[in-house]
Amino acid sequence: MYINEDSKVVVQGITGRQGMFHTQLMLEYGTDIVAGVTPGKGGQEIYEVPVFNDVKEAIKETRADTSIIFVPARFTLSAAMESLNAGINMTCIITENVPVFDMIQLTEKAREKGLHLIGPNCPGMLIPDKIKLGIMPSDMCHYGDIAVISKSGTLSYEITKAIGNRGIGVSAYVGIGGDPVRGTTMKEAVAYYSKDSNTKVIVLIGEIGSDEEEKTAEFIKDNVSKPIIAYIAGKSAPKGKRMGHAGAIISGDFGTANGKIKALKEARALIANTPWEVPQLIKEIL
Amino acid sequence: MKSQIAIGSRKKAGLIKIAKSTSEAISLCKEYFNTDVAGFQVEAILIEELVTIQQEYYCSIALDASGRQFYLIASKEGGIDIEEVSKTTPDAILKESFSFQDGVSEALANDIACRLGFSGKQIDAASQIFLKLWNITLKLEAQLVEINPLVMTPSGLIAVDGKMILDDDTAFRQPLVEKLQERKLSDLEKLARVAGFSFVELSGEIGILANGAGLTMALLDVLSELGLHPANFLDVGGGASKERVYKALELIFKLHPKAVLVNIFGGITRCDIVARAIIQALEDFSDAPPMVIRLTGTNEKEGIALLKQANISAYQDVMEAVKKVKEVLNE
Repeated sequence: MYINEDSKVVVQGITGRQGMFHTQLMLEYGTDIVAGVTPGKGGQEIYEVPVFNDVKEAIKETRADTSIIFVPARFTLSAAMESLNAGINMTCIITENVPVFDMIQLTEKAREKGLHLIGPNCPGMLIPDKIKLGIMPSDMCHYGDIAVISKSGTLSYEITKAIGNRGIGVSAYVGIGGDPVRGTTMKEAVAYYSKDSNTKVIVLIGEIGSDEEEKTAEFIKDNVSKPIIAYIAGKSAPKGKRMGHAGAIISGDFGTANGKIKALKEARALIANTPWEVPQLIKEIL
Repeated sequence: MKSQIAIGSRKKAGLIKIAKSTSEAISLCKEYFNTDVAGFQVEAILIEELVTIQQEYYCSIALDASGRQFYLIASKEGGIDIEEVSKTTPDAILKESFSFQDGVSEALANDIACRLGFSGKQIDAASQIFLKLWNITLKLEAQLVEINPLVMTPSGLIAVDGKMILDDDTAFRQPLVEKLQERKLSDLEKLARVAGFSFVELSGEIGILANGAGLTMALLDVLSELGLHPANFLDVGGGASKERVYKALELIFKLHPKAVLVNIFGGITRCDIVARAIIQALEDFSDAPPMVIRLTGTNEKEGIALLKQANISAYQDVMEAVKKVKEVLNE
């Protein structure tokens, strides 16, 4: 989504432990990382990638058009603002624990400029065999025609790997993240892949909390004819207790696993009862 | 006399009452402090002067996270049944959205005040309250700031009760959040917070150590569908060190589960490190319950080989591991 094998990537926070580690893994995958940014560390090189002091300079020297952010939560607002202000087309925020008000400001800025954000607290995006913009395992699957859109990280690795193990290919893996305010919502990702000619089936991986799945189901009803398969985690979760993700707290009548499953069923989505049922459902549709 | 406790619907739970004398007030204090609602205790009591209520209103500013906007919400039918009102007569609730950038404008505040039926000087009084709600929202980076009820008394509008939802992730710049964070947690949950993983105590007999919130939840769902009961939710987090996994196991052992199920999908997390922590924990805790391990992903071969050397059986398939747990419990 908004990225392809020609995307030129700048890694913000490339000199940090996570930034450096995942730069190496993304380079091994074949991602075209053209620059890194760490304020005050311009002039260095990380795995032969030149480091700049800011995103503008990186764009000027390398024509970067895509960014991935690994900076700590308290610096994420300024790092992502810098990326948006420099005109980067897609900014992917891996960082977790980013304050909600920071994300509100960033999403408003992105909309104003017509640019794209994904995350925070997300594994990023993968177009198998083409580009990896994120921290997901590299060996889950090969290229094909199933789009996987997920709120959860590890759970989506499990499902995507199970899909890959059955010899089914993936057109895009999109980890939208588990935080309440997202750069890309589940509905927006579904809207994109419902029009993507390389995608035949969309797999949604949701979990308790927020009303993303309900809003997505509402959208699917009137706008999507492609088959949708969904798995929702948290059916057994106790009410009112947090299960790790800020978004995963049940409030009011929406946000429960059963509510989401009901809404998705009404939108004619097929529901997988366990994560490991997803590949079987795909096989049946294909 | 209002109990200060981290739950809603306090009046219905008998935690807001009127005392007509000092002795009544003292006995209410005793009653409140001995009350336990869903595991929460009364931490303090707010004592206020009784006011004459002519009309109860509701007002709040709430973040619509998935819509990336805010709502100013108000109703003439405030009080304890506002949830009921929103279901049965949604028209009685006024709701206007606005962006972060725009905030609550005077025009919006005045409009809501008029539509609530205020007139003359009351319009200004009410709209000032709405503007202040937005100031609080901004200052505290709150996801909800609510006054319920806002009451009309012979001497004007008074906020009789309020509620806020703050953002845990702002603790580094919001001292109030930092101070409040510890309060809702059980002792073991506090230990987990210090160690850096998410942990929720549940009431079953199977200890759970997994990675990833979604994957852990999916595992709990599978177990409960098979009639098995987890003792906890524990997401050890990404890239866990040997020490962190060891601490997590130590914490799970404190719950005295009948068995422990470990489910790791290694991405940033390395299976060999997890295996080493398990071996160490089993050496140190002679009374540890039976363990069933599932490892897959980064360095799974190394991890499984290490466990085999130590005579601990490990699985690559989740459902096989779950079956094994069931067997262990039946033994």
